[in-house]
Amino acid sequence: MEILNLYLTHLMKAAPALLRGALITIEITAMSVFFGTLIGLVVGLGRLSPSKLLSRLAAVYVDVIRGTPLLVQVFIIYFGIPALLTQLSEPGHTVRIAPFMAAIIACSINSGAYVAEIFRAGIQSVEKGQMEAARSLGMTRGQAMRYIILPQAFRRVVPPLGNEFIALMKDTSILSAIGVEELVRKGQLYVSVTYQPFPIYVGIALVYLVLTVTISRWVAYTERRLGVK
Amino acid sequence: MISVQGLHKYFGSLKVLNGIDCEIKAQEVVVVIGPSGSGKSTFLRCLNQLEEATAGRVVVDGVEITDPQCDINKVRQRVGMVFQRFNLFPHMNVLKNIALAPVKVKGLPQEEAEQIARELLAKVGLLDNAEALPDELSGGQQQRVAIARALAMQPKIMLFDEPTSALDPEMVGEVLAVMKSLAREGMTMVVVTHEMGFAREVADRVIFMDEGLIVEEGAPEAIFKNPQHPRTQAFLSKIL
Ligand SMILES: Nc1ncnc2c1ncn2[C@@H]1O[C@H](COP(=O)(O)OP(=O)(O)O)[C@@H](O)[C@H]1O
Ligand SMILES: [Mg+2]
Repeated sequence: MEILNLYLTHLMKAAPALLRGALITIEITAMSVFFGTLIGLVVGLGRLSPSKLLSRLAAVYVDVIRGTPLLVQVFIIYFGIPALLTQLSEPGHTVRIAPFMAAIIACSINSGAYVAEIFRAGIQSVEKGQMEAARSLGMTRGQAMRYIILPQAFRRVVPPLGNEFIALMKDTSILSAIGVEELVRKGQLYVSVTYQPFPIYVGIALVYLVLTVTISRWVAYTERRLGVK
Repeated sequence: MISVQGLHKYFGSLKVLNGIDCEIKAQEVVVVIGPSGSGKSTFLRCLNQLEEATAGRVVVDGVEITDPQCDINKVRQRVGMVFQRFNLFPHMNVLKNIALAPVKVKGLPQEEAEQIARELLAKVGLLDNAEALPDELSGGQQQRVAIARALAMQPKIMLFDEPTSALDPEMVGEVLAVMKSLAREGMTMVVVTHEMGFAREVADRVIFMDEGLIVEEGAPEAIFKNPQHPRTQAFLSKIL
C-alpha cells in the first residue's frame, strides 16, 4: 500500500511534464500524418503512373524508406545532413536543424512511403471496369482518377490508414533519441532525477494507450460515416 | 462512320485479332456473334481504343484513332459504350452517374446536365430511381442507367459488349427494348450479343467472328437461314 501511494505521488508530480510531452507527441504525429498523407498520395499515384520513370522513382523511394529503420532515418536528417552541409559550407559556418523540425521531416518522409503503398493498393482494388467506363465517356486519365477511382479508393484505405497512423504515433517514441521532448523523453528526464522508472513508464504506456484507442475510435467512426464495407 | 482496315491485336505473343476489315455506315445496326474467345470484345474495344491496335487502321467518325496524334478523348465523347457488367459508379446516385461526364468533360452547367439526365431516365423508364444508388437497383435497371449514362454525351455511335449476358433472364427484355428503340431512332450501333432474336429483329447486318477473323457477314436472314461457312454453321447449330 505504501509503495502504491509513493508511485501515485510520483505520477501526480510528473503528470504536468508528461502531458506537455504528450502534446508534443500529438503535434508531431498530426503534422507527420498530414505531410505523410500528401507525400503518400503523390508517391502512390506516381507508382501507378504510365510513365516508367515516375513509377520507378516512386518504387525506389518506397523500397529505401521501408527497407531502413526509422531511427537511422532520423539520425541522417538530424545529424547526417546538417554535418554534410556544414562540411560543404565555408569554414566557421555551422548548419543545424531543430530536433522538432528534424522529427517532423523524418516521420513525414517515413510515413509517406507506407501511405503510398496503402493508396496504391486501394487504387488497384477498384475494379478495372470503373476506369474503362470513365474513359469511354471521354474523361482523361486524371479526371477518371479524381472523380471515379480516388473517391472509391479513399473509402477502402481508411482502415489501413488508421493502422498506419497508430503505428506512426507509437514510433515517435524513438525521437527521444535526438532529444525531442515528447512523451518518452519527458519521462526519461523525470526518471533520471527521481529514480522511479516503474510508475513513470507505466504511466507513459497508459497515455499512449489512451491516444491510440482514441485514434482507432475516430477511424471506426469515419468508416461508419463513409459507409466502408 | 466506322472504317477498320487490317486490324491486328496481340496480347503479348497471343494473337487475338488477325486482320479485321470492316465498314460500318451511319445509322447501321451491326450485331457481332461468335464463340467465346474469338475476339469480339477486343474488336469492339479497339473501336474506342480501350485496347490499342497492334497494327492496322481504325477510323471513327472521320478521325483516325490509330494515329498516335489523335485526341482520343474527343472521339470517345462521340462513341458511347455499354459493358457486360454495367460499370456504374457505385459512389454516386443514378442522376449523378449520368450527369457527371456532360459536366466534367463537356463543361455543361450542372442543372442543364441533370435536366438531360432526367429526360434520359424517363426514356429508359427509370425516372423514379434518379436518387437511388446503383447497388439498390436490379441488374436490368442498372444496365438501363448505363445506357442512359452513355447517351448523355450525345454520341453518334453506341458500342454494346454483351449487354444482357450478366442479367437474370426476366430482365433481358427490358434492356433489349431500350436498345431496339435506340436502333429505331437511327443510332449507329455495334452490338456483341448472343440474343439472336434481337439480331433478327433490328440488325442490318450480322458479323460472325472466329479466331480473330470475320468469317462471314450478311443480312440476319441470310446468316441465320443459310450460313455459307462450315464454322458459322457449326456455331449456329450449337446456339439456335
Ligand atoms: N487484357 C488481356 N490480356 C491478355 N489476353 C486477353 C486480354 N483480353 C482478352 N484476352 C484474350 O483474348 C482472347 C479474345 O478475348 P475476347 O476479345 O474477350 O473474346 P470474346 O469477347 O469473343 O469472348 C481470349 O483468348 C482472351 O483470353
Ligand atoms: Mg467478350
